[in-house]
Amino acid sequence: MNASALVLATVQVITMIVLSPLLVGLMRQVRARLEGRAGSGILQPWRDLRKLFAKEPVQADGTSWVMSAGPVVLVASSLLVCVLVPLVGTATFPLIPDDLFVMVSVLLLGTVALALVGLDSGSAFGGMGSSRHMTIAALVEPTVLVSVYALSIPVGSSALSAIVKGRLEDPASVAAPVSLLALVALFVAVVAETGRMPVDNPSTHLELTMIHEAMILESSGRDLAWLELGSWIRLGALLGLVGSLLAPWGIASSMTVTTVFVGLVALVAKLIALGSALAAGEVFLAKIRLFRVPELLAGSFVLAFLAVAASYLVVGG
Amino acid sequence: MTLVQAGLAAEGATTFVAVTAAILVAPRYRARTAGAAIASIGLISAATGVSVLNGGEGSIRLPVALPTDPVMLAPDRLGGFFMVVVGLVCAVAAIYGISYVSGPATSRTSWSAMAVFVLALQLVPAAADVVSFLLFWELMALSSTALVLAEYKTRSSVRSSALWYAVMTQFSFVMILLGFATLAGAAQHTGFDAIAHVTPTSGAATFGFVLLVIGFASKAGIVPLHVWLPRAHPEAPSHVSAVMSAAMVKMGVYGALLVSLRLLPDGPRWWGLLLIALGAVSAVYGILQASVASDLKRMLAYSTSENVGLMFLALGTGLLLRSTGVSGASDASIVACLLLVAGHAAFKTTLFLGAGSILHATGERDLDRLGGLGTRMPVTSWTFALGALGAAALPVTSGFVAEWALLQSLIHGARTQDRLVAVVMPLSVAVVALTAGLALLAFVKAYGIAFLARPRGPGAAAARESGLAMRFALIISACSVVFLGLVPGPLAAAAANAAGLSGAGATRWWGISLDGVHALLDPVALMVLAICLAAAVAVVSIRAARRVPRRRVELTWGCGGVRVSPRMQYTATSYAEPLSRVFDDALRPERDIVVTHSGESSYLVERVQFRQRVGDVVETTLYRPAIQLIDRIGLAARGLQNGSINRYLGYSFAALLAVLVVVSL
Amino acid sequence: MSANLYDQLVGVSAGVLLMTSVLLVWRRSLVAAVRLLAIQGVALACLVAMIGIFDHDVQLVAVSVLVLALKGVALPLVLDRSLVRTGTLREETPLINTTASLLAVSALTMLAYLVSQPLRALRPGPTTAAVPVGICLVLFGFLLLSTRRHAISQLVGFLVLDNGIAAVAFLTSGGVPFVVELGASLDVLLVVLILRVFTARMTVKFGAADLDELKELRD
Repeated sequence: MNASALVLATVQVITMIVLSPLLVGLMRQVRARLEGRAGSGILQPWRDLRKLFAKEPVQADGTSWVMSAGPVVLVASSLLVCVLVPLVGTATFPLIPDDLFVMVSVLLLGTVALALVGLDSGSAFGGMGSSRHMTIAALVEPTVLVSVYALSIPVGSSALSAIVKGRLEDPASVAAPVSLLALVALFVAVVAETGRMPVDNPSTHLELTMIHEAMILESSGRDLAWLELGSWIRLGALLGLVGSLLAPWGIASSMTVTTVFVGLVALVAKLIALGSALAAGEVFLAKIRLFRVPELLAGSFVLAFLAVAASYLVVGG
Repeated sequence: MTLVQAGLAAEGATTFVAVTAAILVAPRYRARTAGAAIASIGLISAATGVSVLNGGEGSIRLPVALPTDPVMLAPDRLGGFFMVVVGLVCAVAAIYGISYVSGPATSRTSWSAMAVFVLALQLVPAAADVVSFLLFWELMALSSTALVLAEYKTRSSVRSSALWYAVMTQFSFVMILLGFATLAGAAQHTGFDAIAHVTPTSGAATFGFVLLVIGFASKAGIVPLHVWLPRAHPEAPSHVSAVMSAAMVKMGVYGALLVSLRLLPDGPRWWGLLLIALGAVSAVYGILQASVASDLKRMLAYSTSENVGLMFLALGTGLLLRSTGVSGASDASIVACLLLVAGHAAFKTTLFLGAGSILHATGERDLDRLGGLGTRMPVTSWTFALGALGAAALPVTSGFVAEWALLQSLIHGARTQDRLVAVVMPLSVAVVALTAGLALLAFVKAYGIAFLARPRGPGAAAARESGLAMRFALIISACSVVFLGLVPGPLAAAAANAAGLSGAGATRWWGISLDGVHALLDPVALMVLAICLAAAVAVVSIRAARRVPRRRVELTWGCGGVRVSPRMQYTATSYAEPLSRVFDDALRPERDIVVTHSGESSYLVERVQFRQRVGDVVETTLYRPAIQLIDRIGLAARGLQNGSINRYLGYSFAALLAVLVVVSL
Repeated sequence: MSANLYDQLVGVSAGVLLMTSVLLVWRRSLVAAVRLLAIQGVALACLVAMIGIFDHDVQLVAVSVLVLALKGVALPLVLDRSLVRTGTLREETPLINTTASLLAVSALTMLAYLVSQPLRALRPGPTTAAVPVGICLVLFGFLLLSTRRHAISQLVGFLVLDNGIAAVAFLTSGGVPFVVELGASLDVLLVVLILRVFTARMTVKFGAADLDELKELRD
């Protein structure tokens, strides 16, 4: 067991647990201000979580252990993603590869847990949200895999930390058009996977337009708290991944106190930048129809595929 | 007498015992004795396979009165690998069958056919020459047809399914026969070792390869030769479906591996491309159809088609990369193919046996009428969940490890200047990713709709947990899914050994390392990490639960609708509806809406009827026109039969004269 | 037995076989056909016996007795009995007339000699020189089968075919094991008996054993 990797993992996990609700709060605040409202403050998500933990969870007859275990699985998978993705540093466990496919599978474990919670609720809306969520997840997966594959070609390895290290050492590759194409595709995929605009409106109240919200309609109390926290951590980790790939500077290649501190600061900065950009975009975008989403995802897939093909045909292996 | 010889002979003897037991024992004990005997055939075969993999050798000459070269059984390591996989599947299915069979499936014919089927399945990988291979292949086909027909009295659809199955199976046999005949003719000998000396670039080798691939693809269930799979697997009794899906289609994959790796190694590039194309189409089409299927067993059958497509994709990648010179990734691909074989056998057995339990307990195969079985059938629910996890390739299961290996080989495969490979590899990655995503949807649908929420029909409401033998078999196969996922190292080492490669092995005896592409994975470490994190979260949750306990209420919130009946839950058809809209062109569902207006006014609607049917596109566009054409030809050929005996004898006479003239020239 | 005598005797038997077959194609009388068949059987038996005596093969001599009993006596007797039942004693309308049949016979003889040339080149000797005759018998038998309408004529053709096959077998390989010969003969006997029953029923049903009547029995 590698000590530096363990330390890094702990740092990343704790950071994301603390930062993700703040990130979401920031995004809501940016959106509120742009819309001319006062907003409820950056700490509101933490206050919501505290409130939810104090309330009793209500479970209907006909539901099963999935309603209580699903949220825990979602949070655990999100935390595992935080360990696997290079957010603050690139030290990895020797035997656990932070390989692309492993990370995506762990992410999908959380997706599945959420979908099952939606189905177990026994209401029509839960099933509806679950069905739409899984359809989008199925269509997003090729884009995610192919875009990170495109980014891995110059480095020669599909381990995320290796990719980030490679980009850190070669600044030219960050600005290469191939890499930008792949990152745009990845960004669209992240938006779809985490249920942000224009794929899903996270603050909608109309059940028939919901995707993510519909699955958590029946949950309450700490179940709902875990579900919300799990989704926020996923969002934070994925935005962190995009940030690390887009601007790898600041990531700790070696594990010392200063480098870790620098990495933390860099991560916070990247999350603030990306989160605000995303929130600002949400103000100006309308949610697209559910049956237009596959077109959007197909477009992002084509971008990613082009990135891969171009990097082979330009670099030549 | 070597271990291998003893094993093979013991299999034959046990089959004899099983058949005798099936015929002679009274119906009360028939299932138990025959089932136990068949299970032991499987176990003996698995043991033989293990000894072959460890380097054991041995051959048995078969007493067949044919004017050919010696007919013998001499399993090589690849065959040994398949013997292990198939043997274990058959053993588990036989144990399941002890508790499961009821009604017509308990007949003497069914149990003896099962014994013969299991024997033939074990001996096909052990064959060392063309004649014995074909002999046991045909035996396998005939006995499985008899088994598919087991319940023909209860359902009329069984007969047509068995007919489709028989025709497709004989078609594959003819193709394989022709292919082997071409190769044996080129090699002047029927032994596999002799055929291995045929040059792969010669015309005979190409012709033989294409024919053999068509034959094996048909047996494996590759699109477009897959039409028998979704018909035959649902109609057969569940333990037979499990064996057919998890073991018999593997014989098609074994055949493809045999041809590509042993008989005609170092073939030209387009062979690999052919296999990749077949595999990719099959994978996507299979999982698409599985996602929209609401019949549970039909869905599992299409999922088999998808997995076999992935196996062919892996094999094709291996061949393509080998011919391009990227040997590391090529070895990894072939190891991935074998991992897929073993992994698929594990989770498909679990799923089919689980589906059998559901059918047994509720009488339903239709997901739209199931629901709420999680609380009523806990063991089935847990094992089915593990099987579904494996099928969806989620950590940490056998399916996950296999797909990880496949993706590693694909990603690291394109390290050359080759433009063709540079385009094919990313496409393959995309195909694998799409199938993984759709598999996720399909199995979340299957598990969620069947086991969660509330029952959608009376059959599901009255469900009870299955019998002891069924539960035992389910638990064993589910444990194997998890075990192969947690400890893939020995399996990967065995796979590399079986294919004669050095590209894979075990790290610290349980992790898997693909040396050719410098990738390694330790699922146990991943699992430990995940459990630590989950435990931390669970501790917080439990401490919160002490302070604020959970409260049970009667009604679901449902956004304020008071009467939320089970009928308002999402069904399997509705779950897959967005997907079927997205892939409307590929699926071509038939939708019928009949609106009945009330008598007084055409503005008031009395009744609306909606009907949807998703048929198999390949069947409607390819097979039905072909069948109609053959019908027309047959009708026209009736003219040959005018009733005159003299004319018929004249036909034979003319044929004899023609042969003599040709011979004398 | 000296080689010269052997040569001549084999030649004579082969000649008798050929003669009888040609006469069978030529003549239309059914009674004559059965008699000719009996003569053919006897000639075949003599041929086998001679080969057996020359090669000092006791088994072959035993087989020749069997052949005599079956093909020379039993089968013609059975056919005779059926003839009595059917009533017609002549083949009225064959499919091709006698001239055309005889032309066909000559063409088939040429074909038989052409086909057996490699066989004769393989092992020159008196027996292999007679192989073309055996093949001729086969072809003539087929000709009879496909061009005659009466059931008895077709039976006769079938038996000529069988005689031809047996002749070729004995001439080329010195015969087949006794058991095999017994089995084959039993088969033939069975076929003839079955066909005899058939003929009888046909006569009862249709008033004649003309196979053209069966043409109506099609879909």
